[in-house]
Amino acid sequence: MDTLVLELKNVLKHREQGGATFELYTKELQLHKGQFVAVVGESGCGKSTLLDILALVSNPNTCEQFTYYASEVIDIKQLWKNKQEKALAMLRRLHFGYVLQTGGLLPFLTVLQNLQLVSEINGFHDSKIIELAKRLDISGILNKKPQYLSGGQRQRVAILRAISHHPQIILADEPTAAVDETRALNIIKDFHTIAKESGTIIVMVTHNHNLIAPFADVTYGFDVYDVSDTLTQSHLLKL
Amino acid sequence: MKLPIITRLAILDLWHEWILALCMVLAIAAILTPLLVLLGLKNGTIQTMHERLMEDPVNREIRPARTLNLSSQWFDEFAQRDDIEFIIPTILRGSSVIRVTTSTKRLLIDLIPTDVGDPLILTNDGIIPNADECVLSYVAAEELGIKTGDVLNTEITRTRNKNKESVQVKLRVVAILNSRADALARIYAPFAFVNDVEAYKEGRAVYSRNWSGGKVLPPLSYDGLWMLLPQNLTAIDEINLTVNTGLTDVQRAYADEFQQKFSFFPPDNYVIYKLLAKGNPITTGSINIIKNKLRGKAAIILPFVDNVEITDANNIRVIGLSLSKSQTDILGLPPLPWGNFDVNTNFTNQGQTLLPKSISERYSTSILTSNVMGGKIKFPVNNQGASFNENIIVPIELIGILRTGQTNRIIFDQTQKTFLSVKTNYHGFRLYAKSIDDIPNLYRHFVAQDIDVIAQIQEIEKLKVLDQGLSKIFWLIAIVGIAGAMAALIASLYASVERKKRDIGVLRLMGLSCLQVFRFPIYQAIIIVVLSNIVATSGYIVIASTINLMFINEVGAKICALPYTYFIFIFIITIIISTLSSLLAAWKTTVIEPAEAIREE
Repeated sequence: MDTLVLELKNVLKHREQGGATFELYTKELQLHKGQFVAVVGESGCGKSTLLDILALVSNPNTCEQFTYYASEVIDIKQLWKNKQEKALAMLRRLHFGYVLQTGGLLPFLTVLQNLQLVSEINGFHDSKIIELAKRLDISGILNKKPQYLSGGQRQRVAILRAISHHPQIILADEPTAAVDETRALNIIKDFHTIAKESGTIIVMVTHNHNLIAPFADVTYGFDVYDVSDTLTQSHLLKL
Repeated sequence: MKLPIITRLAILDLWHEWILALCMVLAIAAILTPLLVLLGLKNGTIQTMHERLMEDPVNREIRPARTLNLSSQWFDEFAQRDDIEFIIPTILRGSSVIRVTTSTKRLLIDLIPTDVGDPLILTNDGIIPNADECVLSYVAAEELGIKTGDVLNTEITRTRNKNKESVQVKLRVVAILNSRADALARIYAPFAFVNDVEAYKEGRAVYSRNWSGGKVLPPLSYDGLWMLLPQNLTAIDEINLTVNTGLTDVQRAYADEFQQKFSFFPPDNYVIYKLLAKGNPITTGSINIIKNKLRGKAAIILPFVDNVEITDANNIRVIGLSLSKSQTDILGLPPLPWGNFDVNTNFTNQGQTLLPKSISERYSTSILTSNVMGGKIKFPVNNQGASFNENIIVPIELIGILRTGQTNRIIFDQTQKTFLSVKTNYHGFRLYAKSIDDIPNLYRHFVAQDIDVIAQIQEIEKLKVLDQGLSKIFWLIAIVGIAGAMAALIASLYASVERKKRDIGVLRLMGLSCLQVFRFPIYQAIIIVVLSNIVATSGYIVIASTINLMFINEVGAKICALPYTYFIFIFIITIIISTLSSLLAAWKTTVIEPAEAIREE
């Protein structure tokens, strides 16, 4: 299928913390162009672990397939195996955008500086940013620092920053956690619009299933059970 | 031009937390400023003391501790050294005392030679005196009641041949020295004048000043004697000849060797001896003693020299020979107009010659040339007729003078028509080094030459010890201060990285490399230290000016001063230290994973 961008098969991530072991098992996960993907679940179910794997910052323990389909086919499983951290960082930098829970904006930069940073790191100048800022209704706060913004504004800036270098995939980790329902809805709407307009994949992790359900193309959940006192297993399920 | 991204981020982050940054800048400046002031005080004080020592030439003076015997050549060579500002020979005390008479007083005052460039005169309100001028020490001027511009009536006295003699000289006082220059009553006068005074006081004549007195004729000296005897010397006679005569060796010689030297053979029945004094010249005194010892033996003594070359215009060989009429008769030679060897002859007798027959008619006088110490010497001789061979024959006394001229300065005085000895030895010197820092080295040089000298070496050493001591104290304080500043900087930067873990994670997530974020705290440390340097330097300028202003009346010089190079040096050092201090924080950034930004605690 030519719209397939990222594909995972039989991926296991093993984590130990304070004597307790947690395992996340992903049987299959496919991300297609323009898809709005919701990942829902309570805390401790492995949402962040999944996001780490998708964000290419965490190495799966076992893995059958982990492929990124860009202009060429990139075998991420192989990159991890060969410890090609630079290639992974390059992929992250060029093809991935991130929206963190509280935005992940740098507090010492103004909104505009934050927005321009990614393009700058990647060595290009994006003149469309101000235009996009107008569309997201944040053009009035471009010269403010993040600490003076509301939670909603902050998330919108974060979204704008995430798409400023035209990534293939945007990973959003609970972007609505810090705002009220109305704002949360608006943020989800913004993401949805971007996904549909630009063909960018949005993977949004949230605990609020109801809020995201009307917009999500695919929704994943987790099946969590305790195998023993020290082992917890979690399986990713398509809902 | 845009700054590199990581530099810009470092600056923006500091600017964002400007209060923290300012506190850090002030904290480091608070350590740096007193260190700068302390260094400035140390430097300024030492420099002021150094200048004080420099200012007074007394501190740069080296003088001999005892009477020396130094040739003018020694002075010429010594003056070439580039660590010497001024050197002048001195006259023995007492040999240059002159009597100064004013309307109310008569005083005996020491005369000190001076010359162009004498720092003692120049740095003590003096002017270098020209001929017929002098400069007085403060004490001398006080005692005499003399002012600048007055004329001193001086009298130079001597006792010669049991008679008291004196000459009068008028000297115009061109300057009176600062009291610091000389604690004694002294008159500073041109070197030539003082030298003439000494000559007069020693009984010699000074023709240029019309001061009467004795001529100092060069003594005669020889390398050996030829001796012709009608019979052999006994072994006892031979030994006797080496006792008290300066002779070291009595050798039998052959007629051939004699002939080579004198161009004639001795009579067959005569025994030939060569008398030598190895290493030392034979003086006229020795010759007199030898003659006495040989009395009654009908010996003919012929003094000779080895290495005196005399040339005339025609390059004819010159032989020195003085013989009495009876001696020439024995040797079968025509009589010599100047006769026998005479120790006490003058140039009227010595300046005679016999020329080879071929040219003897042509010249009534010849100019002869010989190499002596300090160059060539020329003198005229009168032709007395024809020689008995193809050589020029002159009295051996003439050659004896020229032999002396090879080791002592002699001149031929045209007006007096005589050879004269020139004084070349001095008994001391007055020397000023270029800088007080040259003194220890010069001091060592004199010690190596076996010349005992007196210098203000202790003062200079004391200053050095003080400087080293203060430097040690400074470094002790500096190390404590720098350690404190480093600790503060390390803590601040490390805490800052710890606080900004998430931000640094975000930066990594956005694609900044490990090496880029590694530079983040380093750049911040450098920026903080650059700002601290600016604040500390400004602080130093304010404090130093205040200190200098406070002490200007008491000290009269800047006691807190630092050369510009120090600031550059301190700037570089502090940047290096700050970079080192930031390395821990820098290392900390590299262990921050991008994942940490994603994962919320």
